[in-house]
Amino acid sequence: MVAALWKTVLIDGLLVAAGVVCALSVLGLVAMPNLMDRLHFLGPVTSVAAPLVAGAVVARESLSHAGIMAVLVAVALLALNPIVTQATARADRVRRLGDWRARPDEKVRTP
Amino acid sequence: MNEWLWFAAGLLLLLAPCGWVAVRGGLMEKQVAVEMAAALTCLILVALAEGFHRSIYADLALVFALMSFVSTLVTLRFLERWV
Repeated sequence: MVAALWKTVLIDGLLVAAGVVCALSVLGLVAMPNLMDRLHFLGPVTSVAAPLVAGAVVARESLSHAGIMAVLVAVALLALNPIVTQATARADRVRRLGDWRARPDEKVRTP
Repeated sequence: MNEWLWFAAGLLLLLAPCGWVAVRGGLMEKQVAVEMAAALTCLILVALAEGFHRSIYADLALVFALMSFVSTLVTLRFLERWV
């Protein structure tokens, strides 16, 4: 009985946290002035909210078909979002400047 | 109505600001808004799968995540070169 209550609290907490992360990310997407700043807000949805939702599903279903599918969705979003973000930034730079590479007059910071 | 359906409903409401950015923004801002909406849609489908106890929606979420990734890359290549 107590275990079931804790499980419900855990699931609800994870869902609320995921919802807050998504809401703040969308707020950032709307509020930011330019594309490069807006791109940053794609990250929290796929890297924080998606694992939280997958965790809530696994907490409820354990590693059944539904749990494994939720984990796979979270892994897919987590792995693919950096590629999408980089491709979007590159496409924007190519559209604006003609090439994604640094121009001779641009200072490039080296590690 | 359980917590999963409330969560899905909340995320559905968050699609509206993404649509607003897609309508009002420039071409690349539209693309970013669509990418955000795609990520939110995956989470909505997973939540609906749990809310309605239908595992097929979770399969749909995985397929949608993969297909939206491919379509985003194709669209970006098109935007980079031809528009």
